[in-house]
Amino acid sequence: MKDIGVHLLLFTVVAAAIVMLSAFFNEAEDGPALRALPRRLLYFFVGCGVLAGLMLLAEHTVASVN
Amino acid sequence: MSASSPSPRPSETSGDATVATLLGWIVPGAGHLYLGRQTVALAGFVVVTGLYLLGLKLSGGMGFEFLHAELRGPLAPALAPELGFLGGLVYQMKAYGFGPGYPRPFPDLVFLGTTLTAAAGILNLCLTAQAHHDARRARAGGYSIQSPGVVAALAWFVPGLGHLVQGRKLRALLVFLAIVGLLVLGSGLAEGANLSRERHFYYWGGQFLGGLPAMLLEFVSGHPPITGDIPYAEGGLVIAAIGGLLNIMAMLDVYAVAERRAGVVAPAAVTDDKPAAKADLESLRLQPGEQEVSA
Repeated sequence: MKDIGVHLLLFTVVAAAIVMLSAFFNEAEDGPALRALPRRLLYFFVGCGVLAGLMLLAEHTVASVN
Repeated sequence: MSASSPSPRPSETSGDATVATLLGWIVPGAGHLYLGRQTVALAGFVVVTGLYLLGLKLSGGMGFEFLHAELRGPLAPALAPELGFLGGLVYQMKAYGFGPGYPRPFPDLVFLGTTLTAAAGILNLCLTAQAHHDARRARAGGYSIQSPGVVAALAWFVPGLGHLVQGRKLRALLVFLAIVGLLVLGSGLAEGANLSRERHFYYWGGQFLGGLPAMLLEFVSGHPPITGDIPYAEGGLVIAAIGGLLNIMAMLDVYAVAERRAGVVAPAAVTDDKPAAKADLESLRLQPGEQEVSA
């Protein structure tokens, strides 16, 4: 897998922006929104990880062209 | 208008919010005209329609000819920012459509022209949202820079500006850094190849929601000649589009807070069985003599 480090870094940057904006959208006050960021980031990364795992599983099983 | 006044009953409002919204979506200012606010209706009509017609003039009406042949269809432009002004979009489709069916040179100012038509669409969305707000509040009350439609337009034009106007300075800074940062990062990775509506019609629409920074980036480094492989062209394109799309959440955030400060909220949001929502509303209302909510 080429440049996986760069891809993961870019994904982290984009994920941070998405999670921060969604936290702001859900919490009108800055304090609760910022305090919720670590938990939201964890959920986002775990969710994306599970999704990526399922996609890889599907690719190597039902969607395999070999 | 008192900032801490209670929400008006339906019988005290100016008109039906859905009717005002639909009218304003089709013809700029028509929603306000329906609500009896002639001055705003006229100003909105002149500005939005004027921008759209100027854009059509400069682009020769060729904006939708950017779409590749296989993407063309009656609903194809429905994902473009011009959808915010339905009457203008329908007129453009009827009068110009996708052109004669064969390639032809674009006018020199086609990119500026299509930027103006897109901007007219976004501005009309904000104007229409303001009409929806106006229909749900009591007849009395003027407009200010804190009005929901105005802060939403400011939030689109410069990410974070709507929050700054509301006195939410920390959030304004973080929103600006996040959205403009993604636009700059994406454009840098794609070496400016993402900044062209001709190459990326739909992604450009997403980036355009980033407002002035996206326009400036396109002016400074957009439409470059492609002379070789760009390793992260697609990644940069997606990242920049995400940046612009995230600004929608920022616009909705400032709009919702402006509505709550004006004492207008959806009835379901504040009921006796939702004390948390009620407390949230109370915390956002401006108190007498208070100018802003601390960030």
